Amino acid sequence: MSALTAAAPGAPVVDLDLAELRDDPYPAYAELRRTAPLAWVPSVGRHLLTRYEDIVHAEKLPEVFSSREKGSLLLRTVGPNLLREDDPEHRRLRAAAEPPTRPRQVRDLWAGAFERNAHALLDRIAGRGEADLIGDFAEPLAAANLAVVLGLRNASADDISDWSRAMMAANGNYADDPDIWLRAEGATRAIEEAVAEMAETARREPDGSVISSMVHAAEPVTLAEIQNNIKVIIGGGVNEPRDVFGVGAQALLRRPAVLDRVRADPGLWKRVFEETARWISPIGMYPRQLTQDYEIAGVGLPAGSRVALVIASGNRDESVFERADEFDIDRPQRPHLAFGGGPHFCMGAWVARHEVSALAWPLVFSRLKGLRLAEGAEDCTEGWVFRGLTSLNVTWQTS
Amino acid sequence: MPIVIFELPDGTQRKVTAGSGTVLMQAAVSNGVDGIVAECGGNASCATCHVYVDERHGELVGPPNDVEDEMLDFTAAERRPTSRLSCQVQVSDALDGLVVHIPEEQV
Ligand code: FES
Repeated sequence: MSALTAAAPGAPVVDLDLAELRDDPYPAYAELRRTAPLAWVPSVGRHLLTRYEDIVHAEKLPEVFSSREKGSLLLRTVGPNLLREDDPEHRRLRAAAEPPTRPRQVRDLWAGAFERNAHALLDRIAGRGEADLIGDFAEPLAAANLAVVLGLRNASADDISDWSRAMMAANGNYADDPDIWLRAEGATRAIEEAVAEMAETARREPDGSVISSMVHAAEPVTLAEIQNNIKVIIGGGVNEPRDVFGVGAQALLRRPAVLDRVRADPGLWKRVFEETARWISPIGMYPRQLTQDYEIAGVGLPAGSRVALVIASGNRDESVFERADEFDIDRPQRPHLAFGGGPHFCMGAWVARHEVSALAWPLVFSRLKGLRLAEGAEDCTEGWVFRGLTSLNVTWQTS
Repeated sequence: MPIVIFELPDGTQRKVTAGSGTVLMQAAVSNGVDGIVAECGGNASCATCHVYVDERHGELVGPPNDVEDEMLDFTAAERRPTSRLSCQVQVSDALDGLVVHIPEEQV
């Protein structure tokens, strides 16, 4: 079915400025939830669905809200992949790729390497007394950990970061900048080569990694499928742990009383993680396309309509989360939408929970004594499709 | 079709009709039973559809499968010998009258 690239009849049309969304999308989302919970936004080219209940409803109906969106930039960048498939195709690929990301595997197979990676990065900066915790720590850590889980022993953390950035730029290349396409092609070719080499090795010596798991899957997966799906995982797998780390660390540095409590009771790191993911979700929205006519939020959408599930907005829905704009680790536990829902529930959820809340935050706050935000440091939170800190400048005592 | 009973942490009971061939989680979600979150939609990836099978019905329901067994170590509420993920429990006529208890937390 071809995608309908205009407003559905009867859908309110709301103009939103992309630069403003990038800066701070939350006021616009609050307005949409109140006045137009399903609205066609011309600058985005999709209907934005912004209320919690409606988003949950859509997530639970993958046969109507299909992941197979035609003409998406992601498809152009990496080729067919599990994020843009529905079951049964999605299920086959997911079953092949998922086992290494399950919580017991994370604990038994990867936790040791994650901890070594974190210490190595902290060793490099500990004596300096100042750093950008995003560029000097969170990003290289997420990239190094990703290389471990994927089984890309032939790639450095810098390679993974560069590839991720090149592909992410292409996924947002609405302006069709040829340089951006060129860089992404370079990255995807390099990934294909690296994956082909490690798949060959894993065929002989299984190592529990994602590549190995896909090579030995019960239902066969082709090399091209492994390559494309590894591209997708690299595309998103750096940002999300990095961004949740950064947003949560900054939130705590600004709330010393909360930080003291968490340090005294490490069981609370888990709460910090879930609340951070709710408050500023690293992934703000994702696209779906209707397979049939369907009415939601009071609007009848024709088949082919493009919809964005704005989970960042659902996570601020006041009808579900009281004082939703506040960061509050004591709020009643309600399921947030940051990991998505249904068959596409975030495959990296358990990896991220462990690497960020069990390792990265506790290590940073215990090893860097007297950690605080650098004098005059600006808040560098930005983005709406993906949202996080571009830098987090901090200082600490070195003696 | 079998009737299953979900008992909430406060002791109130919800009786629902479960379609044979579906899973327990679907019976809960489609009847709006509170306390079964089921974020991953039944793929044993999220551990938010945790239930305790009533002691009297343990045999009837049987033990968890391998993938489920691992996930049960990571539920929000404590794991007990009777813990199951409701998305991994197939509904059949044999389960008529089954009672399962919903834990205090799922997330
Ligand atoms: S619904 Fe996610 S584990 Fe059962």
